[in-house]
Amino acid sequence: MIDINSPEFEYFLNLSVVLTGFSRFHLQGTGVAHLYFETIRDILGEELFGELLNIFHGLELEKTEQSIFSDRLRSEILASEKFGPITRNIIKVWYMATWYALPLSWRDVFGTKEKDRTFIISPQAYPEGLLWTAIGVNPPGAKGPGYGTWSEPPLVSLNQG
Amino acid sequence: MSLNREVINVDCETVFNTLYDAVIVGTGVAGAIVAKELSQQGKRVLILEATVEKDFTLAGFQSYVETFYGAVEKNPNSPYPTNPNVQSPTNYQDYFVEQGPMTLSGSYTRVLGGTTLHWEAKTPRMLREDFKLYKTYGQGLDWPISYDDIEPYYRKAEYELGVCGDVDEQKKLGVEFAPGYVFPMKKLPPSYLDQKVSEKVEGTQVKLYDQDYTIRFSTFPQARNGEPNPDYDHGNGFVPHGVTTVHPVQYGERCQGNANCVPICPVQAKYDARRTLGKAFETGRVHVLYQAVAYKVEHNSENGHVTAIHYKHYKNQNSGEYTIGTARGTLYVLATNAIENARLLLGSELLNTSGMIGRHLMDHPFTLAWALMPEVTGTMRGPLVTSGIGTFRKGKFRRNQSAFAVDIHNDGWGWATGSPKGELEDAVDNKHKYGQELRQTLISRVSRQLLLAFMCELLPEYSNRVTIDPNYKDKLGNYRPVINFNLPDYSRRTLAYTRKVSRVIFERLGAEDFTHYDSRDPAYFVFENEGYVYKGGNHFSGTHIMGTTNKNSVVDTYLRCWDHQNLFLVGAGSMPTIGSSNTTLTIAALSFRVAEEMLRELNSISPNLQPATLPAR
Ligand SMILES: Cc1cc2nc3c(=O)[nH]c(=O)nc-3n(C[C@H](O)[C@H](O)[C@H](O)COP(=O)(O)OP(=O)(O)OC[C@H]3O[C@@H](n4cnc5c(N)ncnc54)[C@H](O)[C@@H]3O)c2cc1C
Ligand code: SF4
Repeated sequence: MIDINSPEFEYFLNLSVVLTGFSRFHLQGTGVAHLYFETIRDILGEELFGELLNIFHGLELEKTEQSIFSDRLRSEILASEKFGPITRNIIKVWYMATWYALPLSWRDVFGTKEKDRTFIISPQAYPEGLLWTAIGVNPPGAKGPGYGTWSEPPLVSLNQG
Repeated sequence: MSLNREVINVDCETVFNTLYDAVIVGTGVAGAIVAKELSQQGKRVLILEATVEKDFTLAGFQSYVETFYGAVEKNPNSPYPTNPNVQSPTNYQDYFVEQGPMTLSGSYTRVLGGTTLHWEAKTPRMLREDFKLYKTYGQGLDWPISYDDIEPYYRKAEYELGVCGDVDEQKKLGVEFAPGYVFPMKKLPPSYLDQKVSEKVEGTQVKLYDQDYTIRFSTFPQARNGEPNPDYDHGNGFVPHGVTTVHPVQYGERCQGNANCVPICPVQAKYDARRTLGKAFETGRVHVLYQAVAYKVEHNSENGHVTAIHYKHYKNQNSGEYTIGTARGTLYVLATNAIENARLLLGSELLNTSGMIGRHLMDHPFTLAWALMPEVTGTMRGPLVTSGIGTFRKGKFRRNQSAFAVDIHNDGWGWATGSPKGELEDAVDNKHKYGQELRQTLISRVSRQLLLAFMCELLPEYSNRVTIDPNYKDKLGNYRPVINFNLPDYSRRTLAYTRKVSRVIFERLGAEDFTHYDSRDPAYFVFENEGYVYKGGNHFSGTHIMGTTNKNSVVDTYLRCWDHQNLFLVGAGSMPTIGSSNTTLTIAALSFRVAEEMLRELNSISPNLQPATLPAR
């Protein structure tokens, strides 16, 4: 069972906010945050996942200026040989409810994880993909927006904050 | 109202012990219409269906939707269970044995309701000149019937499928209608993208063989629930199927703009053949045997009459074990689609006086062109297509090159590039975006997408064909379709020409052209020094064309086999040409016409008796 009060889950949410560009409120509103946390932990193992989350938490604790934080996020996590592919996977999990098998080059160095394969986290998670929210549409095949809505101007624009 | 499954679903023994008025193979739109028309007129019908029974209920349908949600590759067959015994292309890449020189590719689904489960549901009529292409332009073949012969059946088909559209717009494109006619439902509103494209492009002039053509936009007639037209049926209006009935398969809401018509419409706003099947089943005079794969049509060599259809009945879709069964009726109908009908006919060693069974295989090859609009116009909103260009569906250029119709895709570049999945992967893995920048990148790259799809006519070519070969059989030992396919210059010229049109359109829009044809694609070809890629159109047709004699065709105008007078070959296989119209409305119209002929014949043999042998509801 997952302890939703565990600090790691908090770190995961915070990391997800930074990676996805969506608010914590929004992420929790999807109803699949726990599922994602659990699934990813299950694939990576507690140790590796914990290491990533703790490094991120460290960056947060030491955060002073946004630009320095962003630089460190890039150099220490996104550009890290070990954690880069994992964080990119986390983005894709949030955006498309899909876990992608980690690249071969990653597995060569860090070992093969038994449950690491490309799959949809769950059919219920698919309609919650952030990709659809990001481009201002409903997930294809779910939550239909209603007759004739497609004639109206789109809900997103390029200069929105 | 609920359907009595005990009456409908029968076993092999019941089938063996019953002599039906008609035995129909296949539950697609073609088979469903014939079954409905005959059973509603008191005839006893058996349908043999190759697939496993999926609940004819909301729960059964929901399981398709769930499977779709859970599929990583959301291809046209992704909602439907794979069935190794009854393979469908797409699921089984090697099901078609493609012998070239070019690839046919494409998709259909062998499930209850057939390919309409995942069709897109565009329903344009064919034009008057499409029926006499040879006479008018010296190309292709003429139909043995005219537009006037089929027109009343188009009306029936538009009622059955529940078509929305605008008659005035269609008239401008050269489609003819009975006076005062309107479609059952009003046209679907054009998308915002359509509006933005037509704002800048409408009225553009292009020259083709010294003739001027003016690009004009119009909405597509489509078989999905919209706003009923109060003027329909001389002011009696139209009630969309599924809205007022509480039929198990028909909760058919109004289209919600889910942009998911292919592969599955989650609210069943889109027509699929289960609606028609439901009406047939309600009569209580239809038997269905599932998991029954027809493999041989038996005939009497003296008079040519078909005497039985033999089928293989498998117990379990994961095991190739089966038992053999026989179905008998007065009349027989093959409605398994153009490719499967050909395979079945050839495998049955039937007479083939014309030598044309399997030949004249047609499809609508598509070219795609894609660009980014200068502003955000929105993608993935609404039905996959709401508007297009009908300008090039007719005209003198058809002497030299094929007609074509153009779609504006509301779902972006998906068909061409795998967007938006591919865009997300690219933004994250290659562009290294995250957070707000990622969101902006996605808006910029996805919400400005414009994809134009050009659907080109392909003429009936004698050498384009489905054959069989004992070396290629499926798990049940049935022949797999062996395909020979090529594109003649008549079509290639148009496929190439469409690129000119797309360049003009993108220029007008100030849209950034991203069109790229990969020379490694098996569907790549070079025409006049430029390379192109075509996509299969899934409109397989022409494998048992109709004509005026047993020398120039396989079936007569009522789709009756010349060589086997009690055998009807229903579906697009009977179409001698397909113009630039998606085929299904015409399939449906022809199915109504066949059913009428079958009724005439059945009634002449035994005027409608009380249908006593099957308990009516
Ligand atoms: C992605 C896609 C989009 C499309 N979009 C459009 C569109 O917008 N407009 C349009 O007009 N058309 C469209 N089409 C084409 C349309 O779907 C077909 O023309 C139509 O569904 C064919 O109907 P049918 O009844 O002839 O055959 P099918 O629907 O293929 O039905 C055949 C039936 O026979 C059964 N069967 C097959 N073999 C056997 C056997 N040996 N024994 C027993 N049963 C058997 C199958 O299980 C199935 O139930 C599209 C097709 C695809 C794939
Ligand atoms: S747009 Fe959506 S609701 Fe409308 S028919 Fe297509 S899938 Fe169904």
